[in-house]
Amino acid sequence: MTALQIRNLEKRFEDVVAVGGISLDVEEGELVSFLGPSGCGKTTTLRCIAGFEFPDSGEIRFGGEDIANVLPEHRNIGMVFQNYALFPHMTVRGNLAFGLEMRGVAKSEIEKRTNLALDKVQLTGLEDRFPRQLSGGQQQRVALARALVVEPGMLLLDEPLANLDAKLRDEMRFFIRTLQKEVGITTVYVTHDQAEAMVISDRIVVMFEGAIHQIGDPTSIYEQPATEEVANFIGLANYLPATVLAAEANGVWRLRTQAGEIRCEFGSELAPGQPVRIIIRPEAIQLAPANGMESKADVTSRTRNVLAGKVLERFYLGNIAGYRIQCDDGLVIQVQAPPWASYRNGDLVRCLFPPRRTWIISDCESSGTAT
Amino acid sequence: MTIAVDEQSRRRTPRHLLLLLPTTILFVVFLVFPYFNMVVMSFRNPSTRGVFAPGFTFGNYLESLLDPDFYYLAVLVETILFGVGTAFACLLLAFPVAYHLARTTWRHKALLYTFVLSPLLVGVVIRCYGWMIILGNNNGLVNNLLRDLELIERPIRFLYNYFGVSVGLVHVFLPFMILPILGAIQSIDPRLEEAAQSLGASRLKVMWRVVFPLSLPGVQAGAILVFVLTISSYVIPILLGGLNVMIMPTLVVQQLLDAMLWPFGAALAFILSIAGALSVYLYLRFTARFMRGIS
Repeated sequence: MTALQIRNLEKRFEDVVAVGGISLDVEEGELVSFLGPSGCGKTTTLRCIAGFEFPDSGEIRFGGEDIANVLPEHRNIGMVFQNYALFPHMTVRGNLAFGLEMRGVAKSEIEKRTNLALDKVQLTGLEDRFPRQLSGGQQQRVALARALVVEPGMLLLDEPLANLDAKLRDEMRFFIRTLQKEVGITTVYVTHDQAEAMVISDRIVVMFEGAIHQIGDPTSIYEQPATEEVANFIGLANYLPATVLAAEANGVWRLRTQAGEIRCEFGSELAPGQPVRIIIRPEAIQLAPANGMESKADVTSRTRNVLAGKVLERFYLGNIAGYRIQCDDGLVIQVQAPPWASYRNGDLVRCLFPPRRTWIISDCESSGTAT
Repeated sequence: MTIAVDEQSRRRTPRHLLLLLPTTILFVVFLVFPYFNMVVMSFRNPSTRGVFAPGFTFGNYLESLLDPDFYYLAVLVETILFGVGTAFACLLLAFPVAYHLARTTWRHKALLYTFVLSPLLVGVVIRCYGWMIILGNNNGLVNNLLRDLELIERPIRFLYNYFGVSVGLVHVFLPFMILPILGAIQSIDPRLEEAAQSLGASRLKVMWRVVFPLSLPGVQAGAILVFVLTISSYVIPILLGGLNVMIMPTLVVQQLLDAMLWPFGAALAFILSIAGALSVYLYLRFTARFMRGIS
């Protein structure tokens, strides 16, 4: 069932378009992240859902009813802020009780429910502390408990982990995800951290300059980016300008690049002669010595693409080794290989990659329409 | 590393205390010394021929505190209560203004600040005569207007009572309340208000449960300022209240200038200071309970 429907939501701040007419459905119990650089409109969208901003046009349907102009206190939507926004003059228990008091819940019931919530976020024993007496991670959990204790219809999280150090951030991702699944609450999560979005989300909405570029699960966002911006923002990517030559069997297309012909697997239709960009993720490329044994076989192979080049730079990252390879036509591509393969600067190599590890972006689409 | 240590130890030398010297001299010469002089004066024997007679006595204090009608004590209590009342009235008027100023995104904010400070831009006597024209008991603007509109038959007595004095005091002390509260509210994260709203609090509840408690440091400072200024004000009470409003400063000046009882006047003034300081101390103790967690 659809919990949240956004239709043509538009929000301008004076002359600046913050959100440019986006549409989106969020299913019941689903965790959807808004991912994008700062200023892309993700937080504005979230604030429209929460009711802190009112959209200039468009609908926000929550539980079947358009809430775009409803005051936040009447929406029953929980929110966790980047800086937690805990009430500094109230204890942990006071913070948790606040929402219940506003709803006129009886004292004994408040006590029971706050205890339950404290237990759920593993903060039992800290109920009489003030927020400033808690660590960042503990404050974060209080903020979560405070939002959830009133049993809202939806949970909004605005960069909730941005203020935590890296280790704790990793832990809290899983904590939030587990808690969200356990409670089964529909959740909208805003982040600019792609890894965070990948780990935590059922689906990711990638936004740039107020427009949605792609909506999809983490795998399709990474492997089948809809636009160059998406491919750029999530992980590293190599781009090869190319022209479509012809279709082959099984959705494989033949394309011409400056460095030679390349085969790509791509589901959608392309017109021969159309200028496109080929996307190859650095880890999809395998390196081989230029004068290796299988040299002849690879060049003619239909299952692998080959680009010849020279190692410009090698850098060691522990779990991988990165290379910058200059291809014959001057194009520089990035490659990630296992750390034990040690090509040196100046070595002649061949870059091998199968058609199914490539993806195509047609240039006309890169201006960014929602898919 | 050693350089850092050297620099630190150099910073600890008392040379920077020299910067405090001008203020200290100013305080000693113009505040501590006169104050000390006043305290000494309050223990002098009264005299009809000079400022004081030789010898020291507790008589001035006994007379003012144990006077059989408790006249002076009554004036003292009235003064303190009047100070509390004025501070409270200022708080009620200042809070919405301070909140608006703190949260407005209006481009010409500076204009609003100027308005807030405007009462201080006009001399106290001129301001009082302005109020006399407006509130005059017989031919004041307000009374004339109400009469012309036939809303009243007899003029309302606005002046020469506590009401008139309050109007004059609140008017000029308002900035002293607005500015500290403004500062306090500016330091409250607007996200806290949003968090409260998202938890179901109406605007009024947000104000009462979140903004007001968090602005208490500013409220506290503003209230003390207005209270202290009120219980020591002389010109406005005398101009807008006449002799119908008898508060401590008026009384003290009477003793000094009219009765020429310098030691007795000094004793009254010192009692007022002690009472004022004690009130402020009790107030601080009282409000501290509501500020756990924020300061």
